[in-house]
Amino acid sequence: MSPKKIRHRKYNRRENLVGWLLNLPYLAYTLFLFLIPLIWAFWLSAQDWNLMSSSPKFVGLDNYRKLFLSKNVHQAFVNSFRYLIPVVLLCLVFGLLIAFVVNALPKRARGVASVAMFIPYLTSGVATSVLVKYMFAYNSILNQFLRNVFGLKISWFTDKTAAFCIIVGIVVWKCSGYYALFFLSALSGIPEDVIEAAQIDGANRRQINFRIRIPMMLSSISSVIALAAGLALGIYTEPFLLTSGGPSGATTTWTLEIYYSAFTKFDSGYATAMAIVYAVEIFIILKILDVVMRRLTEKFGC
Amino acid sequence: MKHNTAGKTAIAIISALMVVISIYPLVYLIVQSLAPAGETNLRLIPSRLTIASYIKLFTSSGTQTAFTWVRALLNSFVVCIITTAVSVVVGLFTGYSVTKIRGFQGKRFIRNTLLFQMFFPVVMLLVPRYMLLKNLSNTYTGMLLPMIVSTWAIFMYINYFNSLPDTVFEAARIDGANVLQILQKIALPSTKSITTIVALTIFMNRWNELMWDMVISPKEQFQTLNVLLSTKMNMLTQQQGVLYAASVLLIVPIAALFLAFSRYFREGINFMLK
Repeated sequence: MSPKKIRHRKYNRRENLVGWLLNLPYLAYTLFLFLIPLIWAFWLSAQDWNLMSSSPKFVGLDNYRKLFLSKNVHQAFVNSFRYLIPVVLLCLVFGLLIAFVVNALPKRARGVASVAMFIPYLTSGVATSVLVKYMFAYNSILNQFLRNVFGLKISWFTDKTAAFCIIVGIVVWKCSGYYALFFLSALSGIPEDVIEAAQIDGANRRQINFRIRIPMMLSSISSVIALAAGLALGIYTEPFLLTSGGPSGATTTWTLEIYYSAFTKFDSGYATAMAIVYAVEIFIILKILDVVMRRLTEKFGC
Repeated sequence: MKHNTAGKTAIAIISALMVVISIYPLVYLIVQSLAPAGETNLRLIPSRLTIASYIKLFTSSGTQTAFTWVRALLNSFVVCIITTAVSVVVGLFTGYSVTKIRGFQGKRFIRNTLLFQMFFPVVMLLVPRYMLLKNLSNTYTGMLLPMIVSTWAIFMYINYFNSLPDTVFEAARIDGANVLQILQKIALPSTKSITTIVALTIFMNRWNELMWDMVISPKEQFQTLNVLLSTKMNMLTQQQGVLYAASVLLIVPIAALFLAFSRYFREGINFMLK
């Protein structure tokens, strides 16, 4: 064998070894904290075990049957769509609105505005819940104002619709600015000459925005829709802290129900089965959204 | 694009409105946390500003000791700093090895494993992880382990290293540098922006985490600030000033971090989009 070939092979072996060594932490983590729990989850979902008592009891698909009949799970399932549609739509609309407006600002104002818009995203769900809980409490400034000026007596957290709107509002407030940054970035990537050509051809601003800018932003719009959908499907902090699942389940979510089943009712097998069904739902919804956005991008995108 | 004056005014008004809506809740929290005890939440503008609520956070009263909140703050910092450090390093290692090490045979395997992991929502692993780590409840190890590696961070580094042209790496190889030297002298120095945004995001997400920390540390001494506030929020209903002060404590460190590194962050967002 020529010396060159030997060196090439030796190099590969050493590089290969280093590659595997560098991946050791990730692989160790994946094995112990992802794969093993994952397999355990499937096994657990077929057991009846309350985490503390002596031993699990095999019940096969009983947990699944129970949860398909459970009223709480039905509510969580329905709510997942009730949250999904407004959250995604509002985040999209507000995100785009913020991005377009900020884009039209002079350069210095743009930086300040983007930073300001981003701050809600940094806040912890707990801090916002504290704020909202007392802002909408009976004797708060807001409610006194509403009562004295408009004669409105809204019982925010015990009224199904009001509580739901508050939570949607919190989520949209938190994330619109963050998504707007994506759109802003996409907007700044649109070449000026395309816009100028359109202006020369006589297009007005609305036509430019809707017929040129937005189609050119479809990839970031798809990303934001996927992110917002994931966000909406995973809501739990705000209902947990503000309404405990809402007046008779009006604001409950999958994650919240799973948490309650596992750590309040200690029905770990049932909770895990719920989590698996939830994972399937997320997968299906995200897949559908992906297909829809891809078709739209083919048809309208640039 | 040029707007006429009416357009410019509309834009100015709308953006001012948006900024106010974004920032006002935080301002409200800060202002009310500085309000005197009887006025919290009852007046839009307090008659005077006082740090009484903050002092109450750090003094003993009822069930809390002088250290309750400080300890929670410390717990949050410890957990977040360690998580960020480990996630960044692992992200770097894995991302670099999968993209820039020519002789590494495991690239496809690692990438497929990563994709596979993405399909499962975290809550599916909540109960099994708890059962696995039950004996480590109320310890830092138990709090740290499930989130100590971030697949998102790994993806970010993969995309980043993929965007770097191979030429410099190839040149170094030809010059005889081995993989680790290339990592150290070529790959690493260029990652300032991406590492900043990855580190900031991981820190923030870990700081704001509620579910796992709540589950794994029922004892107050080991709770993070986030968890402590969530438990106290429905107990200290008469001491809203304290709750507001704690909320400010919860938000300010993250805001400060992001503001301090905002330049790198802006570059990172542009990169993330692609």
